[in-house]
Amino acid sequence: MFQVIGGRSVQAARVLAPRSAVLVEAVRGRKSRTDPVARSKVGRIKVPPPVDPVEMVVLKERYGEYQMIMRALRLEFKEEMLRKRYEEDTGSLAEERARQEAQEHRVLMDLNHLENQRMLKLRIVRVQKEKEEADRKKFEVILQREQEQQEIEDAKNFITLENLDQRIEEALDNPKNYNFAIDKQGKVVKQTMLQ
Amino acid sequence: MPMKGRFPIRRTLEYLHKGDIVFKNRVKIMTVNYNTHGELSEGARKFVFFNIPQIQYKNQWVQVMMFKNMTPSPFLKFYLDDGEQVLVDVEGKDHKHISDHVRKILGKTEEVLQAEAQAKMQESNPANFGPRKYCLRECICEVDGQVPCPGTTALPKEMTGKYRTKMAAAQE
Repeated sequence: MFQVIGGRSVQAARVLAPRSAVLVEAVRGRKSRTDPVARSKVGRIKVPPPVDPVEMVVLKERYGEYQMIMRALRLEFKEEMLRKRYEEDTGSLAEERARQEAQEHRVLMDLNHLENQRMLKLRIVRVQKEKEEADRKKFEVILQREQEQQEIEDAKNFITLENLDQRIEEALDNPKNYNFAIDKQGKVVKQTMLQ
Repeated sequence: MPMKGRFPIRRTLEYLHKGDIVFKNRVKIMTVNYNTHGELSEGARKFVFFNIPQIQYKNQWVQVMMFKNMTPSPFLKFYLDDGEQVLVDVEGKDHKHISDHVRKILGKTEEVLQAEAQAKMQESNPANFGPRKYCLRECICEVDGQVPCPGTTALPKEMTGKYRTKMAAAQE
């Protein structure tokens, strides 16, 4: 609630008649500016505890020494940390390590590259096979189509119940001779005479 | 129902901890291009389904993106922080092979991981007392069998400073 003040506001507060050596000003606690002072505190003048000058001197000296040593130790440790960090980031060991890592990385990248090449070869073979498959299928479809055409053609020459009489007449009119010999090329060589 | 999805084991912490791919610090972005149909993409699909959660859990600062049906063949691409791009072809591969391959080329090795774990253990000494962020305990009163915190339960009279000084003063 009360703060020790120093600096500019000291001059102003000194006018307001405090009898003590140390100046204290009120920091707003629970009450606002307009609230009156409590009845039990009206007329109260706060006096800080008296200071023994001899003790003050001794304490000041001892505290000064102590704080100096502590500050020195803290800075020492901080510096050690910073030095370690610096060594790790940009020391000779770090360079060595970085070089090592770059080397290993290159090796691994080459490995990966080889693997990719291998997959590429396999893929080319596979794609080739698939293309051939597709071609073959097309060819087969065409063949099938032709066969169907052939069948349709043949169907025209079939003997049906209507054609029966006519075809019998034709067969009787045109006797066929099956007695012939062929040579190796398939040409007819000899043929008997039809009786 | 507590279980969500087709393989809810993928969502358990135990499964995620089992992931063993920890990327090197250089890897920043990982991209997976794969197809939703087709026999050749099967390995990539399984990889995305089973292994990506583990990878993302172990590498929380790596951006992982999945692209579907953009290219005829599946592949992985890694973008390192010096601009280098690493392409890994995964057409027709099994998801186990894919993960092993990735671990070999871009993952931290076992020994590196162990060294890091050791360093971390050395930094955090369990015997230290301090803020929760750095130490296990803040005060000895938190340990079982020790004097409880005087902030919660009053100390016995004989242990308080004022009683002791009173007794010492009364003695003289």
